Amino acid sequence: MTRAIALTVNGEQCGGDVEPRTLLVHFLRDQLGLTGTHVGCVVGECGACSILVDGALVKSCLMLAVQADGCAVTTIEGLSTPGALHPVQEAFVNRFGLQCGFCTPGFVMASHALLMRNPNPTEEEIRRDLSSNLCMCTGYVQIVEAVKEAAVTLEQWRTSRT
Amino acid sequence: MADITHIGSRARSKEAPRHVSGRGQYVDDLSRPRMLHACILRSPYAHARIISVRADAAMKLPGVRAVLTPADIKALSQPFKPGRYAAGLRVPIAEYASAIEKVRYAGEPIAIVAADTRAIAEDAIELIDVDYEPLPAAASIEDAVADGATPLYEELGSNVGWQGKVSYGDVDAAFARADRIVRESLKIHRYSSTPLEPFACLAEHSPERMTITCNSQSPDVIYEALSEALGLDAVRVRVPDVGGGFGQKIHLIRKYAVLTALLAVKTRRPVKWIEDRSEHMMAGGHSCEQEFDVEAAVKADGEVIGMKIRDTDDVGGSVSTLTIHFTNKLNNLFNTYTVQHLTLEGRSVLTNKCPVVPNRGIGKPGMCFVWERMMDRIAQELGLDAIAVRRRNLIPPSAFPYTTPNGNIYGSGEYDTLLDKALKNVDYDGVRQRQATQRGLVARTLSGSRGEPDKARPTLLGIGVVIGVEPGGRNAARDMAIFPKSKQMPGAGGVEGATVKIEKNGSVVFTLGSPSCGQSHETTAAQIIADVLGVSPDRISLATTYDSALSPWGVSSSNSGNNFHLYDVGAVHGAATRLREKLLTLAAHVLKEDMGRLTIEDGMVYVGRLREAGAKSAASGPAVSFAELGKIAYSNQAQMPPGFEGGLQVTYFHSHPHADPLMLPDSEGRVRAQYTFSSAAHAAVVEVDVETGRVRVVRYVIVSDNGTLINPAVVDGQIYGSAAHGISVALGEGFVYGSDGQLLTLTLLDYGKSTTLETPHIEIEHHPVPDPFTTLGQKAAGEGAAIPSPAAIASAVEDALSPFGVKVRDLPLSPERVWRLING
Ligand code: FES
Ligand code: FES
Repeated sequence: MTRAIALTVNGEQCGGDVEPRTLLVHFLRDQLGLTGTHVGCVVGECGACSILVDGALVKSCLMLAVQADGCAVTTIEGLSTPGALHPVQEAFVNRFGLQCGFCTPGFVMASHALLMRNPNPTEEEIRRDLSSNLCMCTGYVQIVEAVKEAAVTLEQWRTSRT
Repeated sequence: MADITHIGSRARSKEAPRHVSGRGQYVDDLSRPRMLHACILRSPYAHARIISVRADAAMKLPGVRAVLTPADIKALSQPFKPGRYAAGLRVPIAEYASAIEKVRYAGEPIAIVAADTRAIAEDAIELIDVDYEPLPAAASIEDAVADGATPLYEELGSNVGWQGKVSYGDVDAAFARADRIVRESLKIHRYSSTPLEPFACLAEHSPERMTITCNSQSPDVIYEALSEALGLDAVRVRVPDVGGGFGQKIHLIRKYAVLTALLAVKTRRPVKWIEDRSEHMMAGGHSCEQEFDVEAAVKADGEVIGMKIRDTDDVGGSVSTLTIHFTNKLNNLFNTYTVQHLTLEGRSVLTNKCPVVPNRGIGKPGMCFVWERMMDRIAQELGLDAIAVRRRNLIPPSAFPYTTPNGNIYGSGEYDTLLDKALKNVDYDGVRQRQATQRGLVARTLSGSRGEPDKARPTLLGIGVVIGVEPGGRNAARDMAIFPKSKQMPGAGGVEGATVKIEKNGSVVFTLGSPSCGQSHETTAAQIIADVLGVSPDRISLATTYDSALSPWGVSSSNSGNNFHLYDVGAVHGAATRLREKLLTLAAHVLKEDMGRLTIEDGMVYVGRLREAGAKSAASGPAVSFAELGKIAYSNQAQMPPGFEGGLQVTYFHSHPHADPLMLPDSEGRVRAQYTFSSAAHAAVVEVDVETGRVRVVRYVIVSDNGTLINPAVVDGQIYGSAAHGISVALGEGFVYGSDGQLLTLTLLDYGKSTTLETPHIEIEHHPVPDPFTTLGQKAAGEGAAIPSPAAIASAVEDALSPFGVKVRDLPLSPERVWRLING
């Protein structure tokens, strides 16, 4: 038994037939081929599957695909524009904010969500916020540095635009 | 070599852009037409006999394509040969990819299903009916060696799977002339680096070969396993992006490669199997629980003249990794110290727990823990300063290259300076002052105003300073020192290759002999090639990740053993150097010039040493570009010098040119366990909440000698990550079993992995002392800070708790355990 869903993913209209038990993360990965969203635990502990649903940060292993019917989803693939990385992505590259890269899409999405809410976070705020995600490789130091750098870049963007 | 401009720089990461945009390619991202999905049935018991397995109901479920039961697996495959990790096993024991007659740990695989979807495969698992006869489980060393304990392997007669000893110098004589014998019992618990991406295999069987794509750190293990188990010659192993390894993905993953491959053979369709988190926690492999009884023979001034260590390793429910945690202690057996007389006795005890596997340093964190805890204990017993006792025993700079009594050769090191700098950076005296003030406050709080609601909770400050070596670059013959008669030795020294190629259009591609698990191998190798060839790193890229059919691999081609710095760097440098010669030979012919007069800059070959003549760049005069040379080398024999081999591609296999002496063990059991020795001093400052037992790491300072740094940002990353793991291990992460052998920590949350909140901001200073024997003076930086950091935290917590007279003997220092220490 399947159900048809329709949603916007990274600005594009998509749909599909899903079993009611299909997790959103599996729908994105297996049915839409958006494999940038990773599965590290499938029980909401690691944050590797973090995406935005209607602008809110969500662990997509904790949501059923049917619950996303009618929603607007942004995954890691939707963050950059062709030819240019998003400032959060760029900062992770610059600051070596990753090693194996498996946690990275989740950290980038979580950092992006943090900076949308709080454009100028302190180190403590960054650490508190990103404690939703786990990285087994980096020891977090360069991730925190990346978020700080991204905050500065985004601030420059805003001031240069106004 | 052309000018050095990229080696030593924080060159931009080559891997990061794809990962930050979700374009990494991990096994689970791959899909094949008609691909099936596998799921594994695992034992709910820690110890049981398998009476029967019935799979008919599962087979009948629509969408199920195959089920393999223990009987099928036994009929279709051969057992693994006991490899080097099982060296010392006294009777041959057949171990298949799944349990056959008995299960020996909860989570051991029993059956595997292939179905059209993962969900159907999971449903099918529920329909397999297994009859077990439960047996008493040994969930601790104590239970396993108790009289009347049920043996895991009847063939062995008892649960002591191995017992042995190494001895160097004259230990008894040293003990006879000691002023004092310092004794201590120490313990390290079970933990793992828990790579975020669990095991993953995709098997494809064609008439030509079996191709397995999996996230193995040591593809040679998979290669051998498939050849042995399936009796196949034609095996191809591919390793795409790997979501972290840390040793976890070296060994047990071979079982799953075989099971997935058997399904691919049976169904004649591609089969993918992805482990889930709880499967990984219970069956993916753990670092070994180790118990030590230590005696140190010391002089009154703190000199350690002899050491006796008895090490008991809880190796879990398999003989396949019986001795790895013991043999790896040979690598840092003497740490940074001059002691000449030492005995290490080992005992490997089988228990009904997850088998042990290599994990970031393997036995080395335990060995360092022994040394550094003992240094503190010796200082306490002699009434000396703990740092002064360490200094009394350090190998002095004048002694390098230094040969340890068991045959390791330390190329270079400045251990005293590492300590000096660590003390300065952490403001040691300042911490001591603050500690004294705080202790006064706490004493007053505890005696008078306990329980006042708005009083800040009493905390005690503590500092621990430790030092350790980090061995790098494996000698494949190491274990022959202990097990000279073992038939399964994988070789000697090391071999590893790299291919570097200038393409027809002048860009450069390369292939390494080993896989990467996130250590920026592409970035680092490109920096070396850029400098050797004289071309921008932007024009250099990795041709393919590991593919056994294409990658120039050898015994050292493993993302383990801290091998990259020695073997891959040597190989890529060697290949690029030879390619440069070839390129210049062709350029000299084309430009009708002497090779010695040619200069390379930014992908162009010029005549004359224009740079030295003071020109800003070599922009004028006769020149030929890499692209023009590429066109000739691949398509125009008429322009090649006579006898020139076409193409611009070189494969070079590197072996350590200084692998001797002691590549092979001598009659006294001395051998080079590893070839390079990085070192670091760690200073940890902690605050212990006296009421809750919670430990907070206030500062964590590292001064590290990793030899010549190729990319300091990459090395920083390795140090941060390995330190963070060691700190998390010390603070509370770990596997906990019930007395029935059930794992109680099946999730990352229960397991207690540190997040951004518990992990401190780690501070690093580099103090590179180049290695005299390696290609660029480089040393290792992968296992790194995971080796001394558990000892540093233990030392700091003990220091904080010294008003209570408490001794820290084991890990982890979780709030509950610290609270118990404080409250007796
Ligand atoms: S996979 Fe969703 S939180 Fe781990
Ligand atoms: S980079 Fe490997 S888990 Fe974070």
